[in-house]
Amino acid sequence: MSKDMVLEKSNLIKVLQSEQKKEGYISDAAIERIAKEFDLPVVEVEGVVSFYTQFKRVPPGKYQIMVCDGTACHIIGSTLILNWLTDELGIKDGETDEEGLFSLESVACLGCCSLAPVISINGKVYGKLDRKKLLKIVADYRKKEAAGS
Amino acid sequence: MIKRIKVGMASCGIAAGAGEVLELLQEMAGDNKVVEVGCIGHCYAEPLVEVETDSGSYIYENVQAKEKDLQKLLEVEDFSRFQPHPPRVEKERELITSLAGKIVPTSLEEYRAHQGYDGLERAKEMEPEEIVEEVKKSKLRGRGGGGFPAGLKWSFLLAKESENKVLICNADEGDPGAFMDRTLMESLPHQVLEGMLIGAKATGARQLFIYCRAEYPLAVKNLNIAIEQIEKEGLNIIDGEPVEVKVKEGAGAFVCGEETALIHSLEGKRGTPRFRPPYPTDYGFHGYPSAINNVESFANIPLIVRDGGEKFAETGTENSTGTKLFALAGDLKYSGLVEVPMGISIGEVVYDIGGADPGSVKAVQIGGPSGGCIPAEHFDTPIDYDSLTSLGAIMGSGGLIVIGNNRCMVETARYFLEFTTRESCGKCTFCRIGTKRMLETLERITGGVGSPEDVELLGDLGQKIIHGSLCGLGQTAPNPVLSTLKYFNNEYLAHVEEGYCAAMECKALVDVFIDRDTCIECGQCIKNCPVDCISEDYVIDNEVCTRCNSCIEVCPVDAIARVAKGGEVSVGN
Amino acid sequence: MSEIKLTIDGKEIAASEGKTILEIAKENGIEIPTMCHEDRISQNTSCFVCIVREGKNGNWMPSCSAVAQDGMEIDSSSDVVREMRRTALDLLLSEHSGDCEAPCTISCPAHARVEEYVRAGRDGDLRKALEIAKERIPLPMSIGRVCPRFCEKDCRRNVLDNEGVAINDFKRLSADLYYEDYMEERKDLTGQKVAIIGSGPAGLATAYFLRLEGIASDIFEKLPETGGMLRYGIPEYRLPKNILDKELAHFKKMGGIEIFCNKELGKDIQINELKKDYDAVVIAVGSWKASGMRTEGEELARGGIDWLEELARNGWQGDDPGETIVVGGGNTAMDCVRSALRLTDKPVHCMYRRTEKEMPAEQIEIDEAREEGARFNFLTQPIKLRKENGKLVLECLQMELGEPDASGRRRPVPIEGSEFEVAADTVIAAIGQKTIAPEDLPTNKWGDVDVEEADCRAEDNVFAAGDCVSGPATVVEAVAGGRRTALGILAFLKGEKCELPRQVNVSRGHWQSLSEDDLVYLFDPEEKARVPQRLIPLEERLATFKEVSHTFTEEEIGEEGKRCIECSCTAKNDCSLKDFSETYGADPEKFGGEKGIKTYNSRHPHIILDNGKCIKCGICVKVCSEVVNEYLLGFKNRGFKTKVETAFNTTLPEFCTECGECIEACPVGALDWKKKKDE
Repeated sequence: MSKDMVLEKSNLIKVLQSEQKKEGYISDAAIERIAKEFDLPVVEVEGVVSFYTQFKRVPPGKYQIMVCDGTACHIIGSTLILNWLTDELGIKDGETDEEGLFSLESVACLGCCSLAPVISINGKVYGKLDRKKLLKIVADYRKKEAAGS
Repeated sequence: MIKRIKVGMASCGIAAGAGEVLELLQEMAGDNKVVEVGCIGHCYAEPLVEVETDSGSYIYENVQAKEKDLQKLLEVEDFSRFQPHPPRVEKERELITSLAGKIVPTSLEEYRAHQGYDGLERAKEMEPEEIVEEVKKSKLRGRGGGGFPAGLKWSFLLAKESENKVLICNADEGDPGAFMDRTLMESLPHQVLEGMLIGAKATGARQLFIYCRAEYPLAVKNLNIAIEQIEKEGLNIIDGEPVEVKVKEGAGAFVCGEETALIHSLEGKRGTPRFRPPYPTDYGFHGYPSAINNVESFANIPLIVRDGGEKFAETGTENSTGTKLFALAGDLKYSGLVEVPMGISIGEVVYDIGGADPGSVKAVQIGGPSGGCIPAEHFDTPIDYDSLTSLGAIMGSGGLIVIGNNRCMVETARYFLEFTTRESCGKCTFCRIGTKRMLETLERITGGVGSPEDVELLGDLGQKIIHGSLCGLGQTAPNPVLSTLKYFNNEYLAHVEEGYCAAMECKALVDVFIDRDTCIECGQCIKNCPVDCISEDYVIDNEVCTRCNSCIEVCPVDAIARVAKGGEVSVGN
Repeated sequence: MSEIKLTIDGKEIAASEGKTILEIAKENGIEIPTMCHEDRISQNTSCFVCIVREGKNGNWMPSCSAVAQDGMEIDSSSDVVREMRRTALDLLLSEHSGDCEAPCTISCPAHARVEEYVRAGRDGDLRKALEIAKERIPLPMSIGRVCPRFCEKDCRRNVLDNEGVAINDFKRLSADLYYEDYMEERKDLTGQKVAIIGSGPAGLATAYFLRLEGIASDIFEKLPETGGMLRYGIPEYRLPKNILDKELAHFKKMGGIEIFCNKELGKDIQINELKKDYDAVVIAVGSWKASGMRTEGEELARGGIDWLEELARNGWQGDDPGETIVVGGGNTAMDCVRSALRLTDKPVHCMYRRTEKEMPAEQIEIDEAREEGARFNFLTQPIKLRKENGKLVLECLQMELGEPDASGRRRPVPIEGSEFEVAADTVIAAIGQKTIAPEDLPTNKWGDVDVEEADCRAEDNVFAAGDCVSGPATVVEAVAGGRRTALGILAFLKGEKCELPRQVNVSRGHWQSLSEDDLVYLFDPEEKARVPQRLIPLEERLATFKEVSHTFTEEEIGEEGKRCIECSCTAKNDCSLKDFSETYGADPEKFGGEKGIKTYNSRHPHIILDNGKCIKCGICVKVCSEVVNEYLLGFKNRGFKTKVETAFNTTLPEFCTECGECIEACPVGALDWKKKKDE
């Protein structure tokens, strides 16, 4: 096996990542297409996708809220953050609301431990949260959405 | 006269609002040059801005994106000056992070101006065996957790005859609560690359990978810029041949910190580990001999080659040389990244550097989900590989969480088990099912329905999972439980025998109570209760209450608190 | 290749370098259990059942993957190693969902292979159905009529439409059709002979199972005719005696079983002599002593079982009992009520101190008694019986239900001042029966013969079986007891210890805790109501002792058989997890907790993939990808949610040639042919 071919095959995860970046998730059709491109069995590609938590199989909400459940955030109360968001948005960990506006996900660590507890919305990090701050952030997004539409 | 203005733009700075500060400063700075730098490790003071002038440097902390503030800063006024607290300055030893936050991460020029790539230049003149020997002399041990001697690993790879050899930088920093590697890659990408290139020369590897967490976009970006720069400058040419360096993003799997799993992931497969031997140095990436070192290990290499292994070994202890980076977080004043000499005591890190209040801490958790909890009475233990192992913890990659008296240790153990259960790849019986059963048992205990037999089961099953798992994840997963069982057995017993959680953290064991003597009947709690369980006369229906703490948070007079279920009631004071 | 030396369990072994410990052990006849290893594929290293320990450094390692090194001292059999393996199996069992054995077979006291005989009946092979039933049930004609049908109460079909499959009717029809011309294989007589006291179901079953193994027996019966309770306790309308005669004739045809009637223990025969004259003696005398009402005047009442015996001796004829009160709520009480109804036009009452819900009698008996006109007086307790003007007068108390007692049933407590009187011509006390154990034999606190649990031995070469050991129970329980006693005797005669094999059974739980989605269906279950039991006209039931129910027709049995969902595991006779768990003493209940992923895919016409049973060993994935060179199966998800599936969980694609390699290699029943193989 030549070195180049080896690399070709090892690019699977990278290709899946760019697919997700483009579409927001990995569809069945994408799996079939990518499997064909790589000449891999469909079930193997599906197995790889389902192994890694980064890959989403359903379209996420417009605003993806990630609640950091890293150690620092956890001991300072990330469980409460998640509960408050669940109450506010009416969706549980891993769900997207009916309008497709927010999706909620608890993640291992966003790496901003000194700002605990933190969440991120579409990559933007909000730290040192309490209930009031948190609800205001959500309200601001709602306001923004209402103004925009 | 201002020379330039440096804004700390590592992830933690950005999260604290450094981006807005940078934007506004750029508008306001006029001819003054505003640059982005990395992290100096004092996360609690972010955003940090450094103003370099002819007469010296001034650092400002907690800088807000307000015109008034920034104007003062541009005039180098004396306000909100950052002053690291003296004990930290005294105890810290910045060897590998000495440039972090001080130079522009993506400037090859600046890195070189600070002796950057001097180590590589020197290495290029050396024989591979000489470099390996130097690393052996430094006694550098793997910073990823295992503590395997780096020089020895390299000598295995060097000894291999193969058409291709592979050197991999493990940057899949998966411990929740650890960000040492991220900081290094964001703030000092060239230093990591230099270490890798020296490794390529030392081992004969011609294919280099950095396997980086996908959650670290800035690290990936800075590394890629740095790679482009060295390729342009030809720094990656070793023995007349260009060495290929590639950043590969992981996709969210803690188990990929395990080297055989990491290799599978690099190959585009599911990240499951396999039995060793054969070790990767015999059979690695696509079968080629491969060595895997951690980011921090690589960051140490330029210093070792530049200054000599013996000099390096002067810092630290006999068997644990050099410094170690720790990500300090939890119940303490000064969280952040800290570099300390090996052999420093836990107490010095927690109390002197971290500024934690001595009476308020009951333990530290070192090493993340693979590590253990060490109680305060052992805080005089020196931080080195062997001492930590003897206490039931591990050095791990460097997460250090301070646990205050108000935290429940059973809940802490449950949290870590939940993490490893979720991250188990599912291959081995003991890890896949055993961790799940341990988690369920812990949930019974924190849920108030545990029994003394459950506590016993945890110890027994925990030992078996250690013996019956293929990789580091399963072999260390029970550590947080076993170490808390060892040092905080009384907390477990209080849960199962008396239904009592001293920290008032376990929901099932507490009620929420309003002290009517203190209450001023402002109605905030009633308004904010998401389940409407507070009556008009300020009594909480604890059958309905979800223990969400909303009322406790909004109460202006602290009249509401969690109390032990069915126990004596006393709130406040 | 150079040679290395090592020890496994102390045995010194020379082996060539590069081999795994498992390979070397196998070559040297040392058995190490493994579930994820397959010679043709690369290592899986997942089950950890093959774990061993190196003695010198104490390291644990999976022997399937660890290559042996020179000087190793491998421990594969010590208690700690066995304990690790057992825990691995405990964990695998805790994740495993399914029913190893069908609940009907588990709940049948005789553990007959129910699903198998129902399937044979459904497929029209009723002779085979009989053959399977008779492996455990030597009295299929009788039991096919009188069994309280434990099997049907636990039948998984209940989940779908609240009615179990009419299992017992399969036995009844197959026996009615083929009983007389079917003769089981029997070993040649050895010359050993056993004396059996009592020709009821327990004694007959003991004789039967002994005879299959070549042991002859002489059965001694106190009464003039054989059959015990079958003849003298169960009324003719439930079990016609001409049918019983047919059934009993078979025992004589087997050769080696002799029955001697009118021989009473203690009078005509003595245990001490039998002990000397025979290789073993079996006490199977039943529980024949009717319990009294424990009230003043109780001697004025007839004992239920005595009254029935008198009717039986009279050929199910008797005087008109007049207005009758039967006291009691069990099956004997129902037998008395319904027999009385057949003898009189006057009212017949059943008096019970709790409510219908607490009655121990079978619901069908209560229902049929009510159809026949029985009047029930619940929550009524007799306190005194007296005779007045030629009539019996029963003084009673009205009761109400209080707190549950030890049996879990709510205890009846008297209502103050509720005394009342009723008059009747006959009062029958069917409260219960007791054993009268032969003198000098050890007894327990209930007065039953005390035997060793393992081999049913009372003392020396004396064994016991049936009601006289268990207290009054059912025919099928007596037959099951007879078999256990026969096994005990066989071991005793060989001078061996009688040990019943350890059975591991994973169960989905009782059907009442399940919904339709909790079950796995090999084929889509047909919507089909239970075939109704046809009965003779009511007038005939009230005027005669003619058998009340008809035997199902072959067509009806064929239809009813389609209701069986064949819930037992397809791999129950070929499952490594079950086998190793039994060897290592693993326990499905050890950990409890959430089961693994339970989805299944049965869309393929011949193959089922049941994730609930999968142990994630990975053999099928690799056999398909590495041996067959397809790659139709793969792992999905990770951790506890890991599962094996086809792409997008569709049915196996057309290019699957159904080669069956994955099925053959699957260590459990996760991948299997849908059509069950009959052993």
